[in-house]
Amino acid sequence: MSGQASPLWQLVDLSKAFPGVQALDRVSLPIERGQIHALLGENGSGKTTLAKCLAGAHQPESGQMLLEGTPVILEHPLDAVAHGVATIYQEFSLVPSLTVAENIFLGRPLKRPRTGLVDWERMRRHTNLLLQQLSIEIDPQAVVGQLSVAEQQLVEIAKAMSLESSLLIMDEPTAALGLTETRRLHELIRRLAGQGKAILYISHRLDEVFQIADRVTVLKDGRRVDTRPIGELEMNDVVRMMIGLDIEHHYPKEFNSRAALCLEVEELSTENGINGVTFDIRVGEVFGLGGMVGAGRTEIAKALYGVDRPTAGSVRLYGRPVRFNSPTQAVAAGVGLVPENRKADGLFFNFQGPANITISRLKGLVRRIFLSLGEERRVGAEYVHKLSITPTALERTVQFLSGGNQQKVVIARWLYSQARLLILDEPTQGVDIGAKLEVYRVINELTRQGISILLISSDYPELLAMSDRIAVVRDGRILHIAPAKELSEYELLSIASGADSQNGRAGASARPPRDQE
Amino acid sequence: MQNLNKFVRVAIVGPVIALFLAVVLITFTTDRFMTAQNLMNVSLQVSAVAIAAIGGTMVILTGGIDLSPGSSVALTTCVLAVLVKLMGLPLLVGILVVLVMGAAMGALNGLLSAYGRIPTFIATLATLSVYRGLAFLITKGTPIFNISPGLDRVFYDRLFGIPLPFYYVLVLYVMTYVFLRHTSIGRAIYAVGGNESAARLSGIQVNRIRMVAFVLAGFTASISGLLIAARLNSGSPNYGVGLELQAIAAAVIGGASLTGGIGNIISTLFGALTVAVVQNGLNLNAVPAAWQNITLGLIIVLAVSLDMWRADLGRGLSRIFSFERSEEK
Repeated sequence: MSGQASPLWQLVDLSKAFPGVQALDRVSLPIERGQIHALLGENGSGKTTLAKCLAGAHQPESGQMLLEGTPVILEHPLDAVAHGVATIYQEFSLVPSLTVAENIFLGRPLKRPRTGLVDWERMRRHTNLLLQQLSIEIDPQAVVGQLSVAEQQLVEIAKAMSLESSLLIMDEPTAALGLTETRRLHELIRRLAGQGKAILYISHRLDEVFQIADRVTVLKDGRRVDTRPIGELEMNDVVRMMIGLDIEHHYPKEFNSRAALCLEVEELSTENGINGVTFDIRVGEVFGLGGMVGAGRTEIAKALYGVDRPTAGSVRLYGRPVRFNSPTQAVAAGVGLVPENRKADGLFFNFQGPANITISRLKGLVRRIFLSLGEERRVGAEYVHKLSITPTALERTVQFLSGGNQQKVVIARWLYSQARLLILDEPTQGVDIGAKLEVYRVINELTRQGISILLISSDYPELLAMSDRIAVVRDGRILHIAPAKELSEYELLSIASGADSQNGRAGASARPPRDQE
Repeated sequence: MQNLNKFVRVAIVGPVIALFLAVVLITFTTDRFMTAQNLMNVSLQVSAVAIAAIGGTMVILTGGIDLSPGSSVALTTCVLAVLVKLMGLPLLVGILVVLVMGAAMGALNGLLSAYGRIPTFIATLATLSVYRGLAFLITKGTPIFNISPGLDRVFYDRLFGIPLPFYYVLVLYVMTYVFLRHTSIGRAIYAVGGNESAARLSGIQVNRIRMVAFVLAGFTASISGLLIAARLNSGSPNYGVGLELQAIAAAVIGGASLTGGIGNIISTLFGALTVAVVQNGLNLNAVPAAWQNITLGLIIVLAVSLDMWRADLGRGLSRIFSFERSEEK
């Protein structure tokens, strides 16, 4: 120890328990200046708790946090900010109706010395300077709500940097970002590390971590498994550390596609930017939609589901022409949607599991003229068993379930409603590897039963592995349809990003129709 | 379902305690409260509020709020008086007409808010003004007394020695309980209030459900108006002032969440009883009307803050539970 410069932060034997679970169990960890330190682990492994201890949102029960060798106690998030810790959560802390400059100086406006009035001009200049230093090309006067999710994230980072932070904690920063945007974010993070900032980077996406991190720490069940420089590790090693599984088992793909057609879409266009898309989905097929965030994948789903009205083209479901004016009609015809944002658009937090599952086919519970709650309980237990959902779902409202279990509850809804075509929009976003495997297993089970699946995923390895065929979407058009086996990730990326076309990287960022949110 | 029963039992505890406290407090301040005659009076008086609170609760369950029932009551009594007393229509016809009109008033609220996209608070604040204005218009501002000799009987007649309003309340609450708990539409009302977007994407016709809640709210308001007209055998544009607040207070004391999706009708009944007991207590202690209004306001503030604190507590717990403990290993 002696003579060695102490790391920026050194966590020593940090422990924290919640009712019924040891969230952190004697975790020790150095966080060095100028390094991007990735924190990996399944949901429930303790990484968010660790981050929240550093952010002052949780207080450890035992152990120490040393800032440059001196023990500090962070009793409140403001203490953490005062000690140079900036945290960027998945949910932004920006005010959508205010401008970038107003957001950055929120709560601490610069004032004119004599009058005490707010000095807008100086705030704008400071913001401009700050953004320039970070090479962020955003107008300080822009209203935050009108920026893309990715731009908002950059603003969030700029705000953190304006607080003179030495440690930046990022929890799943790329969950909502497309490829180009992720790349931009990574460039910025690297620049910050280059300026000597320490970055604690929490992510589910291993490929990303391998691209960007200098060091990796894996947590499992609240304990630190290992901390290693990234160069010493293979992706397989990390997965094994996280779950004890080999990556080959990652994608248990079954091919259940049959000859008969489930869905035929011809020259479909919508006001929302979908421009003459044509494709079909076979019975039992997983049809993947690849593309950047904002390329129009979600809009295709919305058009098929009766949310957006088509302006041209035709849709046939099992050979019968259909035209849905509302999700009600789509549901009645046997189409189901597992939305991208399950909390906002999928789940009823005021209901327990069974009521969440039965909501799309309450008819099935009717005995004589009234709903049978006994039957509902039975249905709930049946699907909890079928999809290995935690039995807790039967007794508690679904807000208490993990992301993976919540996702399975939404999928169970469409199984129970006997959907024949299921649209899965980013079904594994924000769920841990164990739960991802469960979702893949469910996809296999569905297709085996002859249910067809339209899979939207920004996780390209997943999309390539789990789809039978893939359509690449860009600017509201389908550019290419091919069997998934014949596509490489490289090809998929280059078509989706427009890297294959002559004007290089234009495609994705040029006036795309906005995805949800 | 055991758990739902447990939930209902737990949810009912709050309003029962509130009612108990109110009863104890008032028993100590006056010896005229615990008399058979007075308790009968309270029970009769509560019927109008309790019935209006049914519709109020349903609208709150969808995530909206209905401010118009007090005015709907006034218009109901006036239209009944005009039809029966001034135009000479048979009483039964008059009653049927005002019940249909009640549903129509609710439908207008529903149209404005669900299809016209006006927030329910504003839409029903507007109709609050419009409906009472109409009541003044058709009566030229003066009460109409002695509508019909038969009308008294709607309120004062007894069956097996028990006044009829008891039966109205009982029947309507049982029907509402079954409707909310054991029908698809009832379930959809909770779903819309719980998460509108998820409800829409699950195939529920959200606007239609909102309409149903408002139509039923208008209907129960007109029943409430009928009872008031029958009790006083008159119609007046000044009846029902403040009833909307009492109905909302009943629902909120009963634990209905103003964010929607949470609440149950049996608790609302206890909430209504609490409101009536408090009011009766204030009357017995000769508290001036001004202070009665102030008290009701304070009770609403208290009940809603309890709801918010409860929500905060719930959120705090769920935050702790959700991210590390979610699997309940």
